[in-house]
Amino acid sequence: MAEAEILTASGARKKSGAIAAIARVLGVIGRYPTGAIGLTLILLFAVIAVIGPAVAPFGPFEATQNELGRVARLLPPSGSNLLGTTTQGIDVFSQLLWGTRVALIVGVISAIGSVILGTLIGLVSGYFGGWVDEVLMRVTDVAFGIPFLPFALVVISIAGPSLPLVILLVTLFLWRTTSRVIRAQVLTLKTRPFIWAARAAGASEFGILFIHIAPNVLPLSFLYMAIGVQGGVMLEAALSFLGFGDPNVISWGGMLNHAFRAGAMRTAWWWVVPPGLALSLFVISVFMVTRAYEELLNPRLREM
Amino acid sequence: MHGLRAYLLRRLILLLFVVVSVLTILFVLFKLLPGNPLSVFIDSNYSDEMVQRQKRLWGLDDPLWLQYVRYMWNMLTFDFGTSFFQMTPVSGIVIEKLLHTGAMIVPAVVLSVVLGALLGSWLGWRRGSRQEGAVVVGLLALRSVPSFFVGILVLMVFSYQLGWFPPGGMVSIGGHQESFWETILTLDFLGHLILPCLVLMTREITSPALLLRSTMLEVKGSDFLDILRAKGLSERRIRVHATRNALLPLVTDIAVMMGFLFQGQVLLEIIFAWPGVGRELVSALNDLDYPVAQACFFVMALIILVFNFIADVLYGFIDPRVAYD
Repeated sequence: MAEAEILTASGARKKSGAIAAIARVLGVIGRYPTGAIGLTLILLFAVIAVIGPAVAPFGPFEATQNELGRVARLLPPSGSNLLGTTTQGIDVFSQLLWGTRVALIVGVISAIGSVILGTLIGLVSGYFGGWVDEVLMRVTDVAFGIPFLPFALVVISIAGPSLPLVILLVTLFLWRTTSRVIRAQVLTLKTRPFIWAARAAGASEFGILFIHIAPNVLPLSFLYMAIGVQGGVMLEAALSFLGFGDPNVISWGGMLNHAFRAGAMRTAWWWVVPPGLALSLFVISVFMVTRAYEELLNPRLREM
Repeated sequence: MHGLRAYLLRRLILLLFVVVSVLTILFVLFKLLPGNPLSVFIDSNYSDEMVQRQKRLWGLDDPLWLQYVRYMWNMLTFDFGTSFFQMTPVSGIVIEKLLHTGAMIVPAVVLSVVLGALLGSWLGWRRGSRQEGAVVVGLLALRSVPSFFVGILVLMVFSYQLGWFPPGGMVSIGGHQESFWETILTLDFLGHLILPCLVLMTREITSPALLLRSTMLEVKGSDFLDILRAKGLSERRIRVHATRNALLPLVTDIAVMMGFLFQGQVLLEIIFAWPGVGRELVSALNDLDYPVAQACFFVMALIILVFNFIADVLYGFIDPRVAYD
């Protein structure tokens, strides 16, 4: 996810200052041993997501055939099929590579979307207070009252499964925590003397909010974005595992769903373990980075 | 006391507001369903007249506001109608499934809280030691591992490979007793419970352990511990006294955990073929059994909201300062 930051930053942002700042933060995170391991793993996942489909030996739904031209079902791992094949003769290793891209797409897009939404709501709610705050926070309360997984299942069964819908649902789930945390942060920031100074100097309300307050909550937003990538990947996996993911693409959760339904837990460990392991490894590496980043933001954590 | 009462009233109003909002969202969603529930239910051979009669019978040609009011009233009085497929009242089905879910969650939460509290008390006491640091990082990492994959692995190893435990389900085929309470008191049920319960615990134990650890750190500096020390009590006894004082915040944590689990265990119910409310929701959606799906969703949302409300209320009693916020 951090690499994605660099990618989007170098691709889209004009200011080189932003890239330098992010690179600096990553450098500091890399000095924590957990942070370094986490960053390396995430980098590896990002590389796989980008080049994986190009180097995958087979397509995500392509049946492998044996010498006799028959579908090669449930082959154990071998030289030509590194992680064996499924009941439909699909190469597990290739699916794993394709699935990495889907997982990261959902994770990164929904994390960015939810952080933008959550940060904006938190900023506006905390800064303006009054009825604006009341309305936005009651909306947040309602969002907290909706159980995500059941809600997503109902919506998907109504609208039909698709990747954009999954991303939208995950985004709608993730923003709520960000908005509460950012709001709390804004509430303390807006009483600081430098805000009075800005106001005395004649800054407009929106100027104060976006030029003076927003930059100070951004580090926290980045933290929630990282946590959001983790959440997004997990939620997509959960939905796909339940059979509510996009049937036209393959993800780690989708692989587990097919394996589970085909009874591979009994017969083909090589089909079940790789996607689950990839998912766990990804989630733990994001955890390691966020942990290091949190310590960076809040040095008290080290003593607590 | 006045502050506390105002706080409770505010929380209660908020609870009602959120419940009504969630129900409204649910109403809109089910109105958006492709076609309408009738298309599932009615044979294509029905004449238009018969369809119209059926619609009138179910009140589907009433104005929308009237349908909304009737829907609200039915939901809030727990009258969920009749299942399309099982042809029995939905409320009966939902209650049964809720009991099943509870039978998995309650033991897991009780064990997690007890063991987590013991672990947390030990961690807080040994603060700063090398073991403590390792255990804390381990717990945090454990919390981020997807528990449904842990469930799959556990089932693969202990059930399919080693054959120590039954491969899912709540009771063996034919092992179902007359009543729910008779069922859960059998050894057969216990055998089915162990694996899912352990998987839930790997995740749930982290929260009480980390919470108690941090409250122990606060309690540790208290003067009353010095007095106990002066009395000549052993470190072990002093730790017991300290733990007792650090337990209060755990109460709210239990309420939050319970509420969260009632919706969070859908995946485990699927993996372990546990006939709970989450699994019922998934199969109702697959069968297009809308009354059941609607009821399962509402009940899951309601349980989270009610447990969060209980947590807020308990918090107000335990720490009266929050009431004045």
